[in-house]
Amino acid sequence: MRKQLLSLTVNGDPVELAVPPNYTLQEALRNDLGLKGVKEGCSEGVCGACTVLMNGAPVRACLTLALEAEGADIVTIEGLSKEGWLHPIQEAFVNLGAVQCGFCTPGMIMASKALLDRIPNPTDDDIEAALTGNFCRCTGYAKMRVAVRTAARELQEKAQD
Amino acid sequence: MPQQEYKLVGKSIPRVDSKAKVTGEAVFTADLELPRMLVAKILRSPYPHARILNIDVSKAKKLRGVHAVVTGKDTAGEKWGVFRYTRDQQLLCVDKVRYVGDEVAAVAAVDEDTALEALELITVEYEELPAVFDAWSAIAPGAALVHEDKPRNINVEVKIDVGDVDEAFARCHLVREDTFVAEEESYFMTEPYAVVANSHSDGSVEVWMPNASPHTKAKALSNALRIPLSQVNVRKITIGGAFGGRSDVFPAEFITCLLSLKTRRPVKLVYSREENTIATRKGHAMITTHKTGVDKEGRVLARESVAYLDGGAYSSTGPIATSVPFLCHEQAYNVPNVRFTGYRIYTNKPIGGMIRVHGRSFACGIDTQLDMIGKELGIDPVTMHLRNARKAGETTPTGSYVASCGMTECIEKTAAESNFLDKFNNPQPLRGIGMGVNSVQTGFPLGIRGGSQAFVKFHEDGGATVVSGVVDNGQGNDHMLVLIAAEELGLAPDDIRLISADTEVTPTDAGSYSMISTFGGGNAVKRAAEDAKAQIFEVASHMLEADPQDLVAANRKVFVRGAPDVGVSIAKIVRQALLMGRPIMGRGSFAPEVDQRREWITNPRGQLSQAFSFGATVTEVEVDPETGMVKALDVTCAQDCGFALNPMVVEGQFEGSVAFGGHGGMLSEEHRWHGGHCLNPTMLEYKIPVMKDMPRIKPIIVETIDPAGPYGAKEAGMSVAMSAAQAYCNAVGNALGIYFNHFPLTPERILDAIEKRKEGQGIRTAWEFQPARVIKTDDGT
Repeated sequence: MRKQLLSLTVNGDPVELAVPPNYTLQEALRNDLGLKGVKEGCSEGVCGACTVLMNGAPVRACLTLALEAEGADIVTIEGLSKEGWLHPIQEAFVNLGAVQCGFCTPGMIMASKALLDRIPNPTDDDIEAALTGNFCRCTGYAKMRVAVRTAARELQEKAQD
Repeated sequence: MPQQEYKLVGKSIPRVDSKAKVTGEAVFTADLELPRMLVAKILRSPYPHARILNIDVSKAKKLRGVHAVVTGKDTAGEKWGVFRYTRDQQLLCVDKVRYVGDEVAAVAAVDEDTALEALELITVEYEELPAVFDAWSAIAPGAALVHEDKPRNINVEVKIDVGDVDEAFARCHLVREDTFVAEEESYFMTEPYAVVANSHSDGSVEVWMPNASPHTKAKALSNALRIPLSQVNVRKITIGGAFGGRSDVFPAEFITCLLSLKTRRPVKLVYSREENTIATRKGHAMITTHKTGVDKEGRVLARESVAYLDGGAYSSTGPIATSVPFLCHEQAYNVPNVRFTGYRIYTNKPIGGMIRVHGRSFACGIDTQLDMIGKELGIDPVTMHLRNARKAGETTPTGSYVASCGMTECIEKTAAESNFLDKFNNPQPLRGIGMGVNSVQTGFPLGIRGGSQAFVKFHEDGGATVVSGVVDNGQGNDHMLVLIAAEELGLAPDDIRLISADTEVTPTDAGSYSMISTFGGGNAVKRAAEDAKAQIFEVASHMLEADPQDLVAANRKVFVRGAPDVGVSIAKIVRQALLMGRPIMGRGSFAPEVDQRREWITNPRGQLSQAFSFGATVTEVEVDPETGMVKALDVTCAQDCGFALNPMVVEGQFEGSVAFGGHGGMLSEEHRWHGGHCLNPTMLEYKIPVMKDMPRIKPIIVETIDPAGPYGAKEAGMSVAMSAAQAYCNAVGNALGIYFNHFPLTPERILDAIEKRKEGQGIRTAWEFQPARVIKTDDGT
């Protein structure tokens, strides 16, 4: 299939790619840009492991065509920590035991980031609504809820400083 | 050493592997990229049962970009089986296919599209054969045989008979017989299966794949590929969950290695979600008939259980899978006279393996029936469980001594915390409360000799590297090993590097299946660290002019007990040791004390496992009788894990166990079938619990300090996973006044049971099923 040019911003860097029109954003990020933190769990938009931010909104990279991201600002898990410093959501997931096997973790954290960007002080219902599309088989989700609540507090305190 | 003196173990600290996992840095198998790597795809059987007449790969081979095509002809019909006597699965089918998904051919090509196109160019001529899809039809006389040499499709038969069951039944106050049925469930670990193989010109091959035992995988590959074991190097890789579904050896790794050896290039095979479900392992469907006799106080005097497990097309861990439901039960409950007959039956369906709530129908059947007996006798479930609970110092019917046991404490604490009796005795409409109890092993032998070994070496700055064969599937084994080494050596977790689960470098280890890692591998690392510490103290004793026995290692220093200010740094000791020509190198080994003569089928007696965990779970639910939907409100779970090396991690295991074992396992998770085709192989149709589903969970850690576990630790979470299923089952039953005997409790089943409920018919199960009986074969055996 003939390739088409695609320009977008990924984790703050401008990127130009030539991709076939049937290529998914997931394939572009994983195969062409080596962003392997974008996990492929189901390839049908159910498990949420491939969640990335597209113009600030969480999207399933496996269901998004790469060409749909023309001109978009994409953030993956690799773009969250800055110069080795973990983002407060990452910090909370580590410190509160919300990580087990780690396969769902990048998608779960990106979905949490989208939530806290939109609702800085989420209720438990907000957290459930935002993360219920992300499957985890290890944790029973209990420590993830606590991590998101803790990260929200942390981010709000930082914002007030 | 008294517990309070520990610096690290027993405290909640973040896992050492979590930072790499929150940044996307952790590399899983499908993430691997190697130069010139090819993509592999597998052609699978479209039929549940058929003879292969001919395979034509000529067109596929000619397709541009295809580098190799392999079929059964390339394998010499090599068969895999966990035991010598269960070798029944060809790694690529030669003569027959036995389930929809059986591996028939495979290709390696430059990219995925080319590989998929090549599969379409392979023509296979099949002769369709009659097929069997459930245990009852498979054991019927004259049924089609999945394996011609296995009459009545009986794959495995386990017989256990202890005490005098018939005599005991005769003196029982009350005897009940009920039959319980459970459908198949699946793992749905978030990472789909994947393999990367890289062959080298020296004849060796490197392999990466999710696994529960790198050494088991290497051994099987060495045998099948006829390559020396030392040249099959299974490498360490991050693993996205196992839950029992990565314990076995699959054709996938064999095929990927074969393609890499043929092409002399690295080859990557990544399973689709559907393939992960169909072509790795799934749970067993199971029919269990329990006959239980009790005295007036509800003490079980005798039990006879017969179970049929629908095993699918091949043996896998068959003898173990058939035995474990019974063994967990005989550990959990004190039953003096007991008889068990278990059959694993071949069917033309995907292969059954061990899963987190393996044996739902057995375990939930036991606890449902106990509730029924309690109801008849007017005894509440807490008292029923306490009266029959296993206690430390007892021996199980098949001869395992139980050195530590906190079952009673687990029952009492969950009952108290949940206010069980008050809620049970004052029921609210459509609300229910239920309790389950169970017990699991901390490992049993499975083909790897000598337990687990470990090494500790030092760097000149006083840091150490631990080398261990233990694999981490996601549960935190890496962290556990580092924590133990750091505790022993007086170092911080950051000072320890870990090399693990790489068969070229690391010594043998049984694997992380059967909950053995902490007990086996943890003990081996502890001993290696103790050995290194003894060497450090020996050198330090000269430097500090003190007796080695008076020395303490802490905060990266060695000092005389009580005088922490005048110590010498471990870095300095390590350098001194090098100057003396006595470099610090710790070695440790641990093999659990089990009866090596014990065998699953021929000799099921003797010490099975050196320690056992025990757990109790209480679940509270609300049921909507209009929709059949269950809302779980609260779950209180307790487990005797021996000692919680890291309480935060242990709690995480409990919580995950409630989700997998209880919530998903009992309310929604099951496969549906049509003519051997799985109707719900993907996450879209198969319902695993999501965040919104999950109730509040109260984890309670019970510690009994096992005499042989590292710091007294046993295993974390499995007794909760099992008992949670039983608790959910009894809670839903309690809400509706129905004794359920068909699992999981989906809305359809709940509505059906409500509709069929008849008042005044006494205490009976929701459905009448044909009981599982001892099978009489034609030759009278």
